[in-house]
Amino acid sequence: MKYLFSILWKDQGRMHLLWAMLGTVAGFVLLLSGIRFYENMNSVLTQNEDLLDPEYIIINKEVNIGQTLGLGAGGFSDNEIEELESQPFADRVAPFISNEFPISAFTRSKQFPNFYTELFFEAVPDEFIDVKSDDWDWSDDKKYIPVILPQDYLNLYNFGFAQSQGLPQIPKEMISMLQFNIILKGREEKATYPGKIIGFSNRINSILVPYDFLQWANGKYGYLEKNKPSRIILVSPDPTDPQIIQYIENKGYDTIREKLKSSRLNIILKFVLSFVVLIAAIIIGLAFLIFLLSLQLMISRSAEKIKRLHKLGYHHSEISRPYIIILLALLIIVTAISLVISAVISSKLARMALDWSLDVTPGLSTVTYIVAFGLILVMFILNASAIRLSTRRLCKG
Amino acid sequence: MIFRLENLIPLPMLEIPVVESRVWEADSFRFEPGMSYLVEAPSGKGKTSLLSIMYGLRKDFRGELFINDSNSREINDRQWSEFRKKKLSFIFQGLELFDELSGMDNILLKNQVTQYRSQKQIMEMADKLDIEGFLDKKCGILSFGQRQRVAIIRALCQPFEFLFADECFSHIDEENGARAMELIRAECNRQNAGFILTSLGNMKYSLDETVNL
Repeated sequence: MKYLFSILWKDQGRMHLLWAMLGTVAGFVLLLSGIRFYENMNSVLTQNEDLLDPEYIIINKEVNIGQTLGLGAGGFSDNEIEELESQPFADRVAPFISNEFPISAFTRSKQFPNFYTELFFEAVPDEFIDVKSDDWDWSDDKKYIPVILPQDYLNLYNFGFAQSQGLPQIPKEMISMLQFNIILKGREEKATYPGKIIGFSNRINSILVPYDFLQWANGKYGYLEKNKPSRIILVSPDPTDPQIIQYIENKGYDTIREKLKSSRLNIILKFVLSFVVLIAAIIIGLAFLIFLLSLQLMISRSAEKIKRLHKLGYHHSEISRPYIIILLALLIIVTAISLVISAVISSKLARMALDWSLDVTPGLSTVTYIVAFGLILVMFILNASAIRLSTRRLCKG
Repeated sequence: MIFRLENLIPLPMLEIPVVESRVWEADSFRFEPGMSYLVEAPSGKGKTSLLSIMYGLRKDFRGELFINDSNSREINDRQWSEFRKKKLSFIFQGLELFDELSGMDNILLKNQVTQYRSQKQIMEMADKLDIEGFLDKKCGILSFGQRQRVAIIRALCQPFEFLFADECFSHIDEENGARAMELIRAECNRQNAGFILTSLGNMKYSLDETVNL
C-alpha cells in the first residue's frame, strides 16, 4: 500500500482538495449551526408553559360594512365548521350558541347600587370553559342561573367604573353575594330567575351560562330568528403550529392575535431556517462537486500509472483503495473541524442567550450529529463509487 | 497451465496480407506446461499481441483462447488479477516500470503483493545481473539495459506457471544476457513453469521449441 500511495499521490496538486475541504467545512458549519439555532429557538418557544398547553382559540369572522348595513349576516355555516374540524391543528371545535329571546337583568340588593340592563347570553360546552365550579350546571328545578363573566368585565368595573363614579370596588370572592334577577322574555311568557355569578373567565370574553340551560331556554322562550354561530372556540394541541395562523388568514377569519404569537414566530423561524438550509445545501453541493472533480482529476492524471499497475496484477479495487482512504481521511477531518466550529458557535450563542435570560443548552445535539454523519456518509459513498467506477474504466480500457 | 488457441487471430492482423502461420488461425495450437518456447518473427507479426492476449490485456481477437479448458472470454477481472499475481508473469517490452521509484521500490511494488522473495534473494538476483549498485537509483535515470534487468528481477518476484518475456534481452550485453537467461531458466525449472520468449530473430539461446509467427 505504501508504494501505491507514493505512486498515486505524488506530483498531485493538492490545492483543489484543500478548497473542496474548506467549502465542505463552510457548508457544514452553516447547516449544523442553523439546525442548532432552530432547535434552541424552538425549545425557548416551547419552554414557556402557556405555549405548551393546548390553546383555546376563539375565531370569528371579520365584520364587514355589509353586515353593518344589514345585508346578510356574518357567522359560520355548517360547512365552514366541518372544514375547521377536519384541520390537523384542530383538536376539538365548538360553535358558540346565543340566546334567541330578549334578556334583561336588575339588582335586588341593599348593599349594591341599582342596575338595570339588557343582556345577552352565550354558551359553549363545559369542557371549553376555564372556570370549574360545582354550581355550574342546569336542571329544571334549579333555583338560580349560574353565570360566568369575563375577568375583563370585573377589572373594568373595579378599576375604571367604580373608582370614577365613587362606587365600592368588589373583590372576586364577594361577587357571588351580588344578588340580581334575570328576566327571560318569551313571546308570550316571561320568567324571572335569580342569577349567580360563579366565576370569571380569562379565556372567553362573553357572558356565559351553562350550555344545557341555554338550549332549554331557547326551546322554551326562543322566538327570534336563529342566527348562524358568530364565534367558534377551537382547541389546538400545539399553538405554535404555523398552520393555524395560515388557515385563519387564508379564510379571512379573525382571532385574538396575541394568542397566536408563537405560531407566527414559528413561521418566521421556519422561513429563516429553510433559507439557511438552502444556502448550506448549495455550498455543500458545490463542495461535493469540487471533491468529486478533484479526485477524478487525480485519477485521470495517474491514468498511465493505474493502467500499469493493472498490468502488474493489481485489481482495480486495490488501485482505488488509496484514493478511497485519502477521501475517507479528508472527510473525517472535515467532519471533525465542522463539528468543533459548530460546537464553538453554538456555545457562544448559548452564552449570549444566557445574557438575555433565555435558557439554551450549549453544544451540539443528537440531531446535528446524525445530520453531519449522515451527510458525510452520503458524500463518502457517492465519491467512493465514482472513484471505483473511473479506475475500473481505466483498467478495462 | 495449458494454453490452447483455436482459430485465434488479433483483429488488427486481419487487415494485413495473410501469410501462413503456425499460430494465427491455426485449428489448434497449444503452449504446454514446463516447456520453453521461442516465438520468432519480424516486427509487426503480432508477437506482443500474442502475449497480451494470453495475459488477458487484449480482448480484440477472433477465435478462442482456452486456459486449462476454460474460455478466456469467461475469465473475469478478478481472476485475471489473481493469475497475474500467482500464475502468469510478464517481462514487458515497454518494461512498465515507475520512473519516479527506485529500482528496488519497483521490485518491491510487486513483491509486496506476492511476498514471494526475501530482500536477500532480491539482492542475490541483482548481484547476478550486475545491477545491485543501481537498485537505489530512480528508474528514470537508469539506462534501458539496466531497467530491463530490473524488470526481469521484478517478474521473478512472484510464483508463476508461465513466464512471458517480450524481447527482454534487446538492450542487455551478451554476458549479462546469458546470466539473465540462466536465472530465468533456473527459476522456470524450479517452478516447473512454461516460458515464452519473443525475439526478432538470431536468438543465441536454445529453447525447447521455436515458433515462427
